Amino acid sequence: MKNISRVLIGNRGEIAVRIIRACRGLGVESVAAVSEADKDSLPARMADRAVCIGPSRSLDSYLKIDTLITACLGTGSDAIHPGYGFLAEQPELVEACEKYDIRFIGPTADNIQQMGNKLWARRAVEKCGIPTIPGSEKVKDVKAATAMAEKIGFPVLLKAAAGGGGRGMKIVNTPGELKTVFDALSAEVLSAFGDGTLYIEHFIPNARHIEVQILGDDFGNVIYLGERDCSVQRRYQKMIEEAPSPVVSDKLRKALCEAAVTIARSIKYKSAGTVEFILDQDKGRFFFLEMNTRIQVEHPVTEQITGVDLVREQIRIADHQPIKYSQGNIQMRGHAIECRINAESPFSGFSPSPGRIERWKTPLEAGIRLDTHCYPGYIIPPFYDSLIAKLITTGADRPQTIVRMQSALHQFTVTGIETNIPFHQMLLKHPDFGNGKISTRWLEDVVLPNLRSA
Amino acid sequence: MRSNNGFMPPDNDEIIEILNLVNESDFDELRLEMGGTKLVFSKHAVASSDQTLEPILKGAPAQVEIKQPIPVEKLQDVGTETLTPTDIPPKEAEAKEAAMIEGEGLIPIKSPLLGIFYRSPKPGAPPFVEVGSHVTEDDTVCLVEVMKLFNTVKAGVNGRIVKICAKNNEMVEYNQTLFLIEAEESTEGSSAP
Repeated sequence: MKNISRVLIGNRGEIAVRIIRACRGLGVESVAAVSEADKDSLPARMADRAVCIGPSRSLDSYLKIDTLITACLGTGSDAIHPGYGFLAEQPELVEACEKYDIRFIGPTADNIQQMGNKLWARRAVEKCGIPTIPGSEKVKDVKAATAMAEKIGFPVLLKAAAGGGGRGMKIVNTPGELKTVFDALSAEVLSAFGDGTLYIEHFIPNARHIEVQILGDDFGNVIYLGERDCSVQRRYQKMIEEAPSPVVSDKLRKALCEAAVTIARSIKYKSAGTVEFILDQDKGRFFFLEMNTRIQVEHPVTEQITGVDLVREQIRIADHQPIKYSQGNIQMRGHAIECRINAESPFSGFSPSPGRIERWKTPLEAGIRLDTHCYPGYIIPPFYDSLIAKLITTGADRPQTIVRMQSALHQFTVTGIETNIPFHQMLLKHPDFGNGKISTRWLEDVVLPNLRSA
Repeated sequence: MRSNNGFMPPDNDEIIEILNLVNESDFDELRLEMGGTKLVFSKHAVASSDQTLEPILKGAPAQVEIKQPIPVEKLQDVGTETLTPTDIPPKEAEAKEAAMIEGEGLIPIKSPLLGIFYRSPKPGAPPFVEVGSHVTEDDTVCLVEVMKLFNTVKAGVNGRIVKICAKNNEMVEYNQTLFLIEAEESTEGSSAP
């Protein structure tokens, strides 16, 4: 079979830049499929070729499977990298690729389907003997929900079976609230995802979000690359990620990583993937949350401590090559933290702040990595998400990495738009963050209320 | 397009801002000279008697007719589509094409989507149009195919095909110029530029 020689990138922003770099490292050509708004963007310039696939609105460009396939064939590309978001977890794109003999740089359509539906994923994981959060498969109506909630105990979390990325979930604290929340969420979820199915689970108040990076190939090899702690979240959106987690012991790490590999093996997982767990800090137990069948935004922290180029491995795996590493030669060294830099105003409700970047002075020091598509004069279009850069620092240990991040944030000057850099500075200085004493509710329950009263 | 005496020519955002200010004002016309750049904005179709205007924006006419305020989405379109970051020069080919179109008063027919460009309704059939063909606005000039779905592209104006800019059976991008048309007088007397 022919090797991958030209990759079409069906994405934009920093991840498109990241993929182009990985292609270059492998001597593979890259074609950027861009919307009208991104015609002059950095990935469009960096790629060997850029093709305009449609108008600015992502529904008319980045979300069109047929157009992407046509662009791939028309540019002589033999593979598509979907990045994250957009079409990354659409089995239809994988199937279309198979039909036209295009290599999809990601998992199989079966992998995506299996893990994309939360109920199916739960069943698959339970079959492996790995705990999922106590709860039901689905609840038909308020009556069933109430009965189930009494059984597993309040507080409970109501979740959409088809939801994801923090959308379609609500915490319910008392039996009295359940009816209103159930009806409202069910209607919301039906209109957002076309599927109103809800399920209910026990809510863990003092939880941490711990996820394990894995790689699988065509030859049945599956390895883990350690965990990431993504507990600093606002409305289920991650803001800061780090590796390793400050609260995971070697013993717990081994258990988490082996659980992730078991799950991936059970579905013959191929490519880079992430198994997410909820760690109950009070009881020291972990539960499977979901599996993300794509490269993730926060993959750089894992790359920094393992030295493995995950995007490059994705391309090699899609090229039917075995993973370059065996479990034995993966070593985790030092510490890495990533801050997601967004074009938003953190002190006025995190509202997005698109516009033209005037000054863009990036930090330059040992231990700093910056994944970005921005530059002075760049206009952040209003059509897409607000992520403008991922600032990553690496150090020998956590304290050194935090100091480096503080220094990096201090040097990072952006004018013309609002960013959350000052907010990150505040978080990095917070004693709770320094001590590692946080939960997934920390940002919303501790930091934000104080911010408002200040 | 740096000016020769230290003044920076206004960028798209600034031009749009100026346009809005003129539009909201009671003035009919504004002339602005900054460095080597001359801008004339007029609320009427033709600015009075200045023939030496230099187009500033690639692909944009030198005279801008404003009868209604520009809606916000339109402004965003302009901002994101035609604005070139300060540190990177505009793509030469595009600038050349734009200059040619303006210079000769030709109108581009652009592809409504990315797909494969077909000049004929089916293989072996004669093309919809050739160079020199006269078309009316509803005439089909080509097909653009995406995964077996054929989209017809209409001329959009009455005129004569002057140039065919894309190759048959090859991929064209969204908004790529497919044909250049020389507009001809129509009987309906639509508003000419």
